[in-house]
Parts: sequence; C-alpha cells; structure tokens
Amino acid sequence: MNITTILLIALVLVVLWVISTYNFFVSSKARVKASIQEIGNQLKRQFDLIPNLENSVKGYLTHEKGILQMLSDARKLVAAGKDASKEILEVLPKLQIVVESNPQLKADGVVTRLMDELRDTSDKVMYARRLMIDLTADYNVKRVSVPSNIVANMFSFTELKGLETAETGEHLTVSESEMKSPKVNL
Amino acid sequence: MQNIYEVQQSNKIKSGVITALFFVFSVLTIYVLANAFGYYADYPVGGFGYVGIALIVSGVSTFVSYYYSDKIVLGISGARVANSKEDRLFTSVAENLCIGAGIPKPKLYVIEDSAPNAFATGRDPEHAVVCVTTGLLEKLNRTELEGVIAHELTHVKNYDIRLMSIVSVMVGLIALLGDWFFRARFFGGRDKHSLAGNAGRDDNQLGAIIMVVGIIFAILSPIIATLIQLAISRRREFMADAGSVTITRQPQGLIMALQKISADNEPLEAANKATAHLYIVNPFKTGIKGAVGTFAGLFNTHPPLSERISVLQKMS
Repeated sequence: MNITTILLIALVLVVLWVISTYNFFVSSKARVKASIQEIGNQLKRQFDLIPNLENSVKGYLTHEKGILQMLSDARKLVAAGKDASKEILEVLPKLQIVVESNPQLKADGVVTRLMDELRDTSDKVMYARRLMIDLTADYNVKRVSVPSNIVANMFSFTELKGLETAETGEHLTVSESEMKSPKVNL
Repeated sequence: MQNIYEVQQSNKIKSGVITALFFVFSVLTIYVLANAFGYYADYPVGGFGYVGIALIVSGVSTFVSYYYSDKIVLGISGARVANSKEDRLFTSVAENLCIGAGIPKPKLYVIEDSAPNAFATGRDPEHAVVCVTTGLLEKLNRTELEGVIAHELTHVKNYDIRLMSIVSVMVGLIALLGDWFFRARFFGGRDKHSLAGNAGRDDNQLGAIIMVVGIIFAILSPIIATLIQLAISRRREFMADAGSVTITRQPQGLIMALQKISADNEPLEAANKATAHLYIVNPFKTGIKGAVGTFAGLFNTHPPLSERISVLQKMS
C-alpha cells in the first residue's frame, strides 16, 4: 500500500463523514420543524377537547360555578390560539377537592374521567414541547462542538431558536413556594 | 453532581468501551480456538471451516429469536393486547411519552399477573413492544408509571434489543466452538498428528503450546464472554434509567417505582430465565448481600436496585 492509496482512503473517509454530518444537520432541522407542527397538532386537540369536556360535565358541576368558569376561561384561551396547560393544571386540584367531598360524583366517574382527560391533554402538549426542545438542543450542541462545527460553518447552519420564551418576566424567577416539589394526588 | 446530559454521555462511553472490549475478546477467542482447532483437525485456518459453521448455527438461532422476539416473548408470557378502554392509564401514558421521545408508538401488551414488572422487546422502534403486568398498573401512580414506561421506551430508542442479540450471537459462537473443541478429541484428530509427528520437533512444540492455550480458552472463554455480556446488559439498564429521566425529567417517579417494585416480594410467574433480562427489574428477586452477593452480582442481568436508585438520586 503506497502513500497515495492511504491518502485516497483518508479522503474518502473524510468526505463520508462530512456527508453524514451534513445530513444530521438537515435532517434534524426537518425533525424540529415536524416537532413544531406536532405542538400545533396537540394544541388543536386541546382546542377540540375542552369544549366537549365542558359540555359533558356541565350537568354534574352545576354547584361548582367557579370550576366551570375556569374551564371556559381555558377554552377561550385555546380558542385564541394560546396554550391552556397552565390553566388546566390549576383546575385539577380544585376538581380533586370537589370529587373528594362529593361521594356521588366520585362513584359516577365522569368527573374523574374529566380530570384524566385534562391532565392527558396538558401532558401531550408538554411532551410535544419537550421533543422540540430536545431536538433543537441536539442540533445546537452539535453545531458548536468540535469537529462537527467545521461542517456547520462550511454550510453556515444557523442556531435554532427552540421554544421561544420571553426574555424577562415571572417565569425566570422562582419563588420559595415553587421550590418545593409539588405533591398532587390524582 | 452530574447533570443528565453528562450522565448520558458517560453512560454512552462506558457502554461503548464494554461493547468494544467484548468484540475484541470475541475475535481473539475465535482466532485462538480456530488456530488450535486447525492444528488439531488439520483444516485450513482462514477457510470457511468450523468457525463458519458455528457462526451460522449461532447466528440463525439468534436471528430467529431476534426477528420474532416480540411474538416469542409474548407467546411465552401469555400477554394480551392493551386496549384504550380497559388500560386507559397505560395507553395514554405510553402515547404521551412517545410524543416526548419522538418514536412511533409501540404495540402495547398487558400480562395478567399481580407481580409489578414491565419489559420491552422488538427489533427496532417500528416493531417495538412494551408490555406491563396488571400488578404494575394497579400499584403505581401516573408519575411512577411514566418513569417505568420511559425506561422501556429508552431501551427501544437505543436499539438495546438489537445490541444484546448481536452479543448473544457471539457468546453462542464462542460456546459452540469451545464445545466442539472438546468433542473433536473423539474424531481422531490426534492420529493425524502422530502421523505428522516426524515433521519436526519445533512444529510439535508449537502445536503443544497452541493446544494448551486452546484448551484454556475453550474452558474459560464461554464464562468470560457471558460475564461481559451481563456487564453490557447492566450498563444498558443504567442508560435506560438515565434516558427515562431525560424524557420525564422526574427522577423521583422512577425512584418511587423501583422502590415499590422491589418491595413487592411476589415472583413473576410469566417470567423465565430466557426472558429475565428484558424486565425493568430482575423478576427473580435475589437478595444476597456481602462478598457472596458481589460475586453473584457478576451473574446478574440487572444492576442492584440500591445502586440504580442512588444514581437516579444524584440526577434530581
């Protein structure tokens, strides 16, 4: 084996590596795009689901105006194209109290189903986001780390934003009560 | 204190090192045995000889069990398909976690058994199966169940079933070769050597050395290969634990689940030795402590629970 063959093999290996790294970048960009659509898909599901749930439990919760109000608030938020996961998570403990203090509702199971569905939909939105965050993180880490950053610079792959959050505001600070791990019994 | 990404990275490296070690060891063993064999039975090393046959035997048997792993295991364990009515919690949790892990939803099965346990199988994410016992669904709450199922989904995502299959092909190959090496004594290999005996003293001495090395390898290598295989299996368990936390971000859920499962003393009737390594916790509950325990630990498919829990606690 002479020096030219060795160089040739090395060149082929480098080219293969460049191709696979390039493919990683373009495919993870496509996957991030798909994951954003998945978030939209789950929000759409939430949008369809909440009015349905609200209707089906109206009859059971006539005395619990507050909860119905919270549910319709959540629905309005979703209708406005926003995510209502936070509101849903606030409703859940209240529903729990209602069910505990009302054996008839507990036996009936409809409200329990409602709680399951509400938690499920907010989980789905949360996991759809998690995937998008993870995918962008993988892409961004690979973009700046050696040696894949060479390929990233060569084809000028830009950093992906990930989940857009406001630069300032409440979510950047943590109050003392929020430091404790939440105890929710469902 | 390591963050989850560092844990994953170090797991990946350790697992890679063990796996590489395993393959180097396998190649070395096969080389030595093939040479000793060649000396013994006088067949050309490098040709498609006994090693080729052993590879085919071991490969075909493992490939069948790998390709049909889902059906075989489910048949043995007597599992039924999970439906979204009866097992709502299970199906919705699995569905949500698949969104988070970015893999297609696997087929879900339930075993009617009150011992809490779970396993995953199938050759790739498209043909994956996740199976839980009814005991698990009854005894764990939603967060704990998420931890367990995320652990199983990580096995699927990491192609652990594929890796372990390849490893068992190699272990099977080494065991077969070792076995045949001993049997070869009865096939008159020796006569041939005594005939060729006057070829020269050097040749005989070399032959003797190769024979001794061959015998040592034939005795020890199946055991060593199995031990490395089990070490890989344990390492993949740690990886799956870390992967579970990456998906759920709630180590506490998995910790509580592991504690609950280990506190339960009921053995799983549906499990047997062949399927034990698939489960999230060893279904045979062995609890030997001390030096004997450490030694016995070498033969376990799963790391000790206390160790898994303490690793998880470092992540929270």
